[in-house]
Amino acid sequence: MVKPTVKGYIRENGTVGVRNHVLILPVDDLSNAAAIGIERLIKGVTAIPHPYGRLQFGKDLDLFFHILSGTGANPNVAAALIIGIEDKWANKVADRIAETGKPVEVFSIEGNGDLKVIERASRKAKEFVQFASERQRTEVDLSSLVMSIKCGESDTTSGLASNPATGKAVDKLIDYGATVMFGETSELTGAEDIVASRITDENLRRKFLDIYREYVNFIESQGVDLLGSQPTEGNIKGGLTTIEEKALGNIQKLGSKPINCVLDYLENLPKGSSRLCFVNTSSAGAEAVTLFASKGSVLHLFTTGQGNIVGHPIIPVVKISANPKTVKAMPEHIDVDVSDLLELKIKLEEAGERIFNYTLRVANGLLTSAEILRHEEFSPIKLYISA
Amino acid sequence: MPHFLIHDKKDNVGVLIVDVKRGQEIVGVYLEGQGEVKVTALNDIPLGHKIALEYIREGEKAVKYGRPIGIAIKDIKIGEHVHVHNLKSLRWGSLSRR
Repeated sequence: MVKPTVKGYIRENGTVGVRNHVLILPVDDLSNAAAIGIERLIKGVTAIPHPYGRLQFGKDLDLFFHILSGTGANPNVAAALIIGIEDKWANKVADRIAETGKPVEVFSIEGNGDLKVIERASRKAKEFVQFASERQRTEVDLSSLVMSIKCGESDTTSGLASNPATGKAVDKLIDYGATVMFGETSELTGAEDIVASRITDENLRRKFLDIYREYVNFIESQGVDLLGSQPTEGNIKGGLTTIEEKALGNIQKLGSKPINCVLDYLENLPKGSSRLCFVNTSSAGAEAVTLFASKGSVLHLFTTGQGNIVGHPIIPVVKISANPKTVKAMPEHIDVDVSDLLELKIKLEEAGERIFNYTLRVANGLLTSAEILRHEEFSPIKLYISA
Repeated sequence: MPHFLIHDKKDNVGVLIVDVKRGQEIVGVYLEGQGEVKVTALNDIPLGHKIALEYIREGEKAVKYGRPIGIAIKDIKIGEHVHVHNLKSLRWGSLSRR
C-alpha cells in the first residue's frame, strides 16, 4: 500500500507546518492595541491579543512564556513579530522563538509610543509577509506531523460515534508515524484507571497518576467539587449525567495505541518517533487547544455533540459531530458529519476513514469552518492571581 | 433503524438515537455483537438521553460502557428516563452532600 503524504511547509529546524502565518504576538495586554494596529495596516498577518503578561510570577509566569514562545515557534508560523511594553520580556519570548531559525523581530513601546512602533513594525511585517509568501508546500509523510485531539460540548453521541470514529483516525495517523496529543485532565475522572493502564512505561504511568491526583486535589482544595460545571449544562442537556459517564465517552477518541508520552504543563514534546501523548491541560476548549498549539500541534481534531464552535488563530480546528440535530442546526460549524454512524448506516471503520481523509485535506490547505468563521481563540492558561 | 444503542452486554441503560414518546414500544441494539432489547418508554425522552433496561433500585449503580457511571438516588423502573433527577456521580457530589 502507498503511504499517504501531505504537502506542508518545512521550517528551518525541520518541523512541518500546515499553515503559513506571519504572527504578531503581543507579550502583554498593553501591547494588544499596537498588535491590532499592525494587523489593520498589513495584509496577511495574524495578531493574537490576550489579557495577560503583567506581574505574573513563578510557575504561572513560566507557563505564560512557554505558551507565548511555543505559539511563535509552532511550525504553522513562518515569521513572528513580538510587541512588548518593555523589551526584556519581549526579548525573552523572541529568543526562544528564534531558536527555531525562523525570522523574529522585537518592538517595545516604552520610550517610543504606539504610533512609532506600529509604523516600524509594519515595515518589518511587510518584509515578513513577502518572505512567507515565497514559502512553498513540499510533499512530506505523516511522520512529520504533530496533531492534537479534544472534545467539547460533548453529549452521549460523542461517546457512541464521533469519539470512537476519531479514535480510528488517530490509530491510523499513529500507524503512519504522526504524533497525537490529548489532555483534559479533570475530564478523565472515572476513566483515569483505563488511561493509566494504557501507559506502557511504569514511570510515566506514575507521573500521569500524580498529575491527575494533583489536579483533582486542587479542585477539591477549593472547597467545591465540579458538580455544575463538569458535566457542563450543555453536556447535561445532551444526556450526559455524571463525570464518569463523560470521561468514558471522552476516552473513546484515544484509539487503541499505547500511550508512550506524558507531559506536564512546562514540558516540550520529545523529538523522534511517533507518540500518543497525554498533556496536562484544563478541559476548557480554547485553553486546551492553545496549550496543544504551543507544544507544536499543527492541526486539531475536535469532536462535539451539542456544538462547540472553538477555533485557534494559527492551527486549523476540525469540527466532527455525530449528533444529527447539531449537524442540522449549525452546519456552518461542522466539518465532518458522522451522524450516519449514530444511525448505524455506516460502519465505524468507514467513519474513521472519513475523518482521516478530511484531516489530510485540511493538512494540505483546505480551510476549516472555524478558520473561515474567524474563530481565533487564543487563551493562555493562567494558574493563579498575578502579583 | 433501532431507537437506542447499548454500549456493552453488562449495561443496564441504553442511549436513545431518536426522540421517543411516553408509551412508545422501542427497540435497541448492542454496538458490538448481536441481540436486540425491547422496552416501553415510560417518559418522553430526547435523543442522546438514557433509558433504563433493568429495574435499578435506589443505591444501585447504573452501568454503561460496562462500567458504573453513577448511583441511583431513587428507584428507576424499566423504560424510565435515567438522568440527573435519579442518578448521581459516584466520584463527585460527595462534598455537596456533606
